[in-house]
Amino acid sequence: MKENSKPKTGMARLLQLAATKKPLMIGSVILSSLASVASFIPYLAIYYIVREILGVWPDAAALDTARLVRYGWLAFGGVVLNILLYMGALVCSHLAAFGTLYELKVNFATHLAKVPLGFHVVIGSGKLRKIMDENIEKIEEFIAHQLPDMVAAVVAPVVMAVILLTVDWRFGLAALAGVAIAFGMQIAMYGNEGAKNMMDKYQKSMEDMNNASVEYIRGISVVKAFKQTVYSFRRLHDTIKAYTAMVIPYTLSWENSFSLFTTLINNIYLFILPVGILVGMNTADFTGFAATLIFYFIFVPAIAGILMKVMYVNSNSMRILNGVEAMDSLLAEPALPQPAESRQPAGHSVEFREVAFSYDKDRETAALSGVSFTARQGQVTAIVGPSGGGKSTIAHLIPRFFDVTEGSIALGGVDTRQMKSGDLMNMVSFVFQDVFLFKQSIKDNIRMGNPAATDEQVVAAAKAAQCHDFVNKLPRGYDTVIGTRGVHLSGGERQRLAIARAIVKDAPVIVLDEATAFADPENEHLIQKAFEKLMKGKTVIIIAHRLSTIRSADKIVVMDAGRVVEQGTHDELLERDGKYAVMWRTYNETASWTMQREGRNVRV
Amino acid sequence: MSENKKTPRLQNALMLTDKGYRDLKGAIGACTLTNFSMMIPAVVMIQVIVELLGPFTGGEISWSRMWLLFAAGIVGAVLVFLCNKNDYKKTYVVSYMESENARTTLAEHIRKLPMSVFNSKDLSELTTNMMGDVGTTEHVLSHVYPQLFSNAISVTVICLMIAFFDWRMALAIFVSVPVAFLIIAASRGIQRRLGKKHAEAKLAASEQVQEYIEGLKVIKACNMDGERFATLENALRTMRNLAIKFEFGVGVFVTGAQVVLQAGVGLTVFAGVTLLAGGQIGLIPMLMCLLIVTRIYGPIQTELTLLPELLYHQIAIKRMRALMDYAPMEGAETPLDDYDIRFDHVDFRYNQGGEETIKDVSTAIPADGITALVGPSGSGKSTLSRLIARFWDVDGGKLSIGGVEVKGLDPEHLMGYMSFVFQDVVLFNDTIYNNIRIGNMDATEEEVLAAARAARCDEFADRLPQGYQTLLGENGSTLSGGERQRLSIARALLKDAPIVLLDEATASLDPESEASIQQAIGELIAGKTVIVIAHRLRTITAADKIIVLEDGRVAEEGTHDDLLDQKGLYHRLFTIQQESLGWSV
Repeated sequence: MKENSKPKTGMARLLQLAATKKPLMIGSVILSSLASVASFIPYLAIYYIVREILGVWPDAAALDTARLVRYGWLAFGGVVLNILLYMGALVCSHLAAFGTLYELKVNFATHLAKVPLGFHVVIGSGKLRKIMDENIEKIEEFIAHQLPDMVAAVVAPVVMAVILLTVDWRFGLAALAGVAIAFGMQIAMYGNEGAKNMMDKYQKSMEDMNNASVEYIRGISVVKAFKQTVYSFRRLHDTIKAYTAMVIPYTLSWENSFSLFTTLINNIYLFILPVGILVGMNTADFTGFAATLIFYFIFVPAIAGILMKVMYVNSNSMRILNGVEAMDSLLAEPALPQPAESRQPAGHSVEFREVAFSYDKDRETAALSGVSFTARQGQVTAIVGPSGGGKSTIAHLIPRFFDVTEGSIALGGVDTRQMKSGDLMNMVSFVFQDVFLFKQSIKDNIRMGNPAATDEQVVAAAKAAQCHDFVNKLPRGYDTVIGTRGVHLSGGERQRLAIARAIVKDAPVIVLDEATAFADPENEHLIQKAFEKLMKGKTVIIIAHRLSTIRSADKIVVMDAGRVVEQGTHDELLERDGKYAVMWRTYNETASWTMQREGRNVRV
Repeated sequence: MSENKKTPRLQNALMLTDKGYRDLKGAIGACTLTNFSMMIPAVVMIQVIVELLGPFTGGEISWSRMWLLFAAGIVGAVLVFLCNKNDYKKTYVVSYMESENARTTLAEHIRKLPMSVFNSKDLSELTTNMMGDVGTTEHVLSHVYPQLFSNAISVTVICLMIAFFDWRMALAIFVSVPVAFLIIAASRGIQRRLGKKHAEAKLAASEQVQEYIEGLKVIKACNMDGERFATLENALRTMRNLAIKFEFGVGVFVTGAQVVLQAGVGLTVFAGVTLLAGGQIGLIPMLMCLLIVTRIYGPIQTELTLLPELLYHQIAIKRMRALMDYAPMEGAETPLDDYDIRFDHVDFRYNQGGEETIKDVSTAIPADGITALVGPSGSGKSTLSRLIARFWDVDGGKLSIGGVEVKGLDPEHLMGYMSFVFQDVVLFNDTIYNNIRIGNMDATEEEVLAAARAARCDEFADRLPQGYQTLLGENGSTLSGGERQRLSIARALLKDAPIVLLDEATASLDPESEASIQQAIGELIAGKTVIVIAHRLRTITAADKIIVLEDGRVAEEGTHDDLLDQKGLYHRLFTIQQESLGWSV
């Protein structure tokens, strides 16, 4: 067992999760225990009947029929009581379970939004999805069914043992010996490391198959284009095969122990019989002896039922536990630390001070090192440089999608780490390369920038972002839901919606990634107009891919291999004749490239 | 009815293969055998009781016979063990084999579906089909069906046996069974409705989860406690509420049925005692019935609780069947030896009843030339280019390559003639090397590396820790846009198909990559039939033919100079663009 201060693992963790809805769970546990006690009533009733009969046998006429029938009703009443109590337990536990699942999912989703963004990339969306859709969902089984069953499984054997031992301790001991052997086997089966390893492997192959199928479907349009559906199919098929290859031997490894267990609990009478024979051979009270033995024979099947329940509790909770572990390992990922109070920035300049950053803590390669520059309020600061030079990383660090490894980033003189993320986000607007639109109405997609915006403000922003015309052409205008049938937006249109989102937000700092501003000639013009509206009077940081657009920027920061190699205005940089000057010349050459046959690149 | 082998209804209903169906029958048989073997202890116990009752009817008890019975019990236990082992193996193996089969079949089928399906279906729904629904089948095959059938068989047999001894006792024991089942059957409608709602809510929540995860960056940027998070929360809340409703809706009936069923215990004791007192039944048969009544309802109760699972399974099966019912695209593998592409009054719409995206387009794309498709966004450039590759079938008119109608060509065969370089590059969670090799799986290592070099992939591959053997993350998340483009050009180069479909925007990601990509494209298009979706008109001024699209129709066509002379749409677009090239922030 781990120390108490450590995060709980294993069964303790499951119980901790179950305690989310404590009153309901306690109710459930109590009802479930009572139910298991009630479940023995019919057997006791039958025992009394047998005793009653054997007491007068073979004189059938002397039977007290009324009393026997009362025992019959007692048996029936016990059964009904058992079922009703058990149902009450399940009502409580289900309410608790679904409530807990809901809370866990909301917590998990909230946590995902708090951890550094790079985390999701590393984990993969398939796995995150699986945790939300499956792992957490499985906890339902534990809380709603297994926990009440488990309690019953603890209470029932105790009551059972009491009954077994009070009626006749010798038979009782024999029966309990059988139960103990079956139980011991259970513990030996599931408790060992090998079983745990197998379980991990099983989970892993299941996960692989899941990821492969997500990838398969996501990539299908492209693999079709390459006539390589067989390839991606084979990848998926391999994981499917691997899963089968894993799961069959895994399941079959329980074959003997499971069968032996089933056999044992169904034949516990064989433990009682020899004791019975030995006792019976020397007994004085044969009638009492016969009645007791018959009682045990009738009672013993109940043991099988109870022990089978325990069995399933055991095997299922292992499966659930693995899912919970996957969830917990992600929850353990520390959230970006938040200050208790935001410090109020003075102005809205953005300043990088000796910033170093690496995406992967273990990897040596730094994405940024020693980056210092200031983007002043009311000015346009352009970041240029080759791909992989660190441009996009800079854009991601400003909103604290990641925290810097060294140095700091200040907004209006305040370290961004000393601002609450909500306050920081309110001050910064983003237009990213990969525009993500939600499957909601156009209106709501724009309004995401500012939930308080009125319809008029949304439309005004859309007009400023040159969206109004294409939106009006859509079947339901601003109420058109993205992703519904017949709604196809081009890259340029999506980009403009993202700009509208930023306009409606009206934040003092704007981070732009202009890479997709090429969608098509007419669009480009419109997007440029949209950008102009957006940028007026703001602190603008633009990740530039085409140099022509940033020629008149107030400052150009040239990045290469994660470092700032030059900064200044266009003219200053050309004069220096450094990296930027080279880029500028290359750019002018490529801009005049035309597509020609035979691969001749003719410059115009 | 025909003499031909007809698929049995059960096999059909469960979507099983022939082997799976045979194996399922085997599993049911094995389970039935197990159920019968489980009666051995009861039989031995009854014999012991008979022995015990000897002295009450004037006889003597034989202890040696008791020891003999004990020995028989041991032998019986061994039999129980063997039967259990047998059915354990059979049920699990059949279910896992079948689920492997189902997953493979679904995946295989999905790969042959026309692109239109992926357009209208949600990614998460397809994945749910392949993973979740098959998972349900897996569970049902191992835990539900064999038990369901074998329990039904053994309970019936036991019922008949008791009826043979004493029909009144049999009636007392079994009269509650049909009543319990009637309750379940009567509630099926409600259960089904609740089940469907619950499944829908689950799917909706799953979609929201997917969207939430994918849109996390935007969510963070827009302060996540906003609108979006509420949508996910609502979906989760709805799912919680419906789950509770479903569980209780089903639970009430199942529990009700259980109460009714268990009423049989009281009834049996009552009947037994009455009959015994009246001397109409022997003590031993009566005790035997008591013994049975404490055991028999277990398996029947299992039946009752298993029934709702079948409902879930039916929903899953329905979803899978709907997917399997999508007709795959088929066609002949007619060889093409001429690559002239001809559109003859072609109409196309994405969705039936929707607006036409391509309207009455008649034009030609000459073989061995560069043809540019130009026009405002939404004019149909991409659609037109993808129609050539038969991503979809045209709704009207005729589209042919080298005189062969595209509609009649096998899609995979047709793909063999084409290379694509589009903006949306999908990469696999595999090495860079293998991602390039997708272009042509038969290529040698030298060929792969040569293509990679020609596409200027060396520049970034060499920088990575393991070079071309570096593993890319999910969808190649570690590469920049320009790097991804070059990788996709390398794929196309490796494929070396006679027709090249190209999105020119590809060539404009960042200044440094741009030159490399331009060189790579130059290599790619040499000597090919090239169709380029042009954005920057500058780059296609030298094309052999420019087709200008507007609103799904051909507005103009000709060479750059012809079109400028016409002073139409092309002239306008070209002028705007020349102006905006001079734009700056």
